[in-house]
Amino acid sequence: MKKSKKNLFVTGILAISLGLTACSSNSSSGSATPDKETGAFNPDNADGQTYEEVRSSLGEVPKLTEEIKLGAVAKAFENEYWRTLKEGMETGAQKFSDKGMNLTIDVKSPQGEADEEGQLAIVKDMINKKYSALLLSPISDSNLVPGVESALEKDIPVMNVNDGIIKEAPNFVGPKADLNGESAAEWISEKLNGEGKVAIIVGMPKAFAARQRTLGFENWMKDNAPNIDIAEKQNADWDRAKAKDIAATWIKKHGDLAAIFANNDTMALGAQEAVNESGKDILVVGVDGIGEAYESIRKGELDATIDSFPKYKGQIAVEMTIRQLGGQEVPRVIWTPQALIDETNVDTPAEEIINWVDPTIAK
Amino acid sequence: MLKTKEYSRELSLVAAIIIMVIVFSIIEPVYLSGSNLLDIMDQSVINGLLALGITYAIITGGIDLSVGSIFAIVIVVVGDLLVSGLNPVLAIICGVGIGFILGVFNGLLITKLNLQPFIATLGTMSAYRGIAYVITGGWPVLDIPGDFRSIFNSDIFGAFPVSILVLLAFAAVGHIILKYTKLGTYIYAIGGNEEATLLSGVNVNKSKMLAYAISGAGAALAGMVLLARLGSGEPAAGQTYELNAIAAAAIGGASLAGGRGNMIGTLLGAILLSTLKVGLVVVGVDSFWQYIATGAIIVVAAYFEVIQGKLKGMRVGRSNTKAIGVGK
Repeated sequence: MKKSKKNLFVTGILAISLGLTACSSNSSSGSATPDKETGAFNPDNADGQTYEEVRSSLGEVPKLTEEIKLGAVAKAFENEYWRTLKEGMETGAQKFSDKGMNLTIDVKSPQGEADEEGQLAIVKDMINKKYSALLLSPISDSNLVPGVESALEKDIPVMNVNDGIIKEAPNFVGPKADLNGESAAEWISEKLNGEGKVAIIVGMPKAFAARQRTLGFENWMKDNAPNIDIAEKQNADWDRAKAKDIAATWIKKHGDLAAIFANNDTMALGAQEAVNESGKDILVVGVDGIGEAYESIRKGELDATIDSFPKYKGQIAVEMTIRQLGGQEVPRVIWTPQALIDETNVDTPAEEIINWVDPTIAK
Repeated sequence: MLKTKEYSRELSLVAAIIIMVIVFSIIEPVYLSGSNLLDIMDQSVINGLLALGITYAIITGGIDLSVGSIFAIVIVVVGDLLVSGLNPVLAIICGVGIGFILGVFNGLLITKLNLQPFIATLGTMSAYRGIAYVITGGWPVLDIPGDFRSIFNSDIFGAFPVSILVLLAFAAVGHIILKYTKLGTYIYAIGGNEEATLLSGVNVNKSKMLAYAISGAGAALAGMVLLARLGSGEPAAGQTYELNAIAAAAIGGASLAGGRGNMIGTLLGAILLSTLKVGLVVVGVDSFWQYIATGAIIVVAAYFEVIQGKLKGMRVGRSNTKAIGVGK
């Protein structure tokens, strides 16, 4: 019998320590975690310009006559987002070469979003092969730094595209990530008439986009919608099944949950499944604008997504790189378009939503 | 009394789960609602199926790191078959078959090529994941037909989800194989002392291969539950799920040295993890602390095993005689 007493003792300790963990950290949950000043470069807070402002201040794209070979490295083609961005870059390069420039682009990705070394190896290879310019979306904020430094030493321009953030890169092209969260907050607040309980599903905590989207959402609500209660916040690591489980638990805990904001569409679609099962009318908003999210909005399930138009972002990144190569001075941070997509504009062509026009090239 | 002793670990896991439920309910009374308790079971299904399968590999003294990737292949292949109009029941049979075959292939690498299970399944983890990506070109499989989804998602007896029954049935079959068949005896014996088992004339290779096949079948079932729940399947699904499965098996008393572990323990391990997960979400614990809490549980459970082992050692002398018991 002695043994089972000891068993119970250990079990007790385990439970108590758990309880303590729960209590001690409970107070901090739900409140906004301020972005600690770490000295890291944050393009969201930079004095950036939209691509349209850049176009109007710099004018036509200079026509390059020499042979240009652009090298782009994305995070991982396993993810639809990066495949679309690749497509956009290739489209952009194609448009310039159609107009008489001698331009090619290679878009590569490492083996999955964990392969930090592999991604650096691709960049180094591109430097050795003397690419004209690099367009980089690093897996972490630091893994490509050695490559960037050596490229800059060899006078190869580096354009940081989307995220992660390379402090050392001279230029950044991408969406304003906190604006993603702000648009979602504004839309939800409007639908709820500024009142109700909402919850946030956060992506991988290390990701810049996850932090900024959440922060943008929380700050907007704090400043503009005092009667909206952000009742819950948890991370689901960009994983659909995890997001569904968390959402299901919340729906049971809060009978009056009115809206869920997820840091990306994959998690939003998971949360939407939980909402469907519950039979309740809870708003779900995601970010990214992946094809499946559009489908879901058309079916009347998902309520909204913030699309940052990777296809056009890719074209803008190529355009800005060419401007840079042509001797124009592009700003440190260039913001690419984004828009909230809901049932009212889900079938509107993207060109129309963002008023897209192809850049004009100097004769 | 003897029975109680034999299952002392399982009983203390049940106690741990009950204490956890009580603690969480005191902090947040909503936790104790019936639908939430069902939710705990519901959210343990996928990890539970993976963990039950992996327990077979662990008992033989091996490991199966490829379960998350088998899971993904089954998701995309079954998803494609369903979208192309295959009968849902046939699709489920195909899915289990695929898991079984991929498991057998793991077994072949381990037995015929004599590779260490960790290395062999590390290799297939990557290769199988690649196959899942190649099959779909990286895109998700969308619009899974409703008739398939309702097989797993419907409730019986009013509110008892079928997917929980799938978990319990797999555990029951797994338990019967381990406890009451020759194969089960051989699997324990291989984990206890492979050489002795071989010398006593057991077909070690075949038993090992079947253990990995069962692991693959568990992953296949888990994949189909996910496919039914989400209504779409991604080739990226299930990454790092093998680690949670190993955690559940370890908490349940499976020893990575082989020879020890059982279905009831693993099932309780998975339920305990899910109790913790749901509890931390309901109470609203910061996500970062959840990693710490989960880690603490794994370490505490492992230490617990050490204490038990020592106590047992004092009483009967440390040996695996019972586990090896080929002549049972």
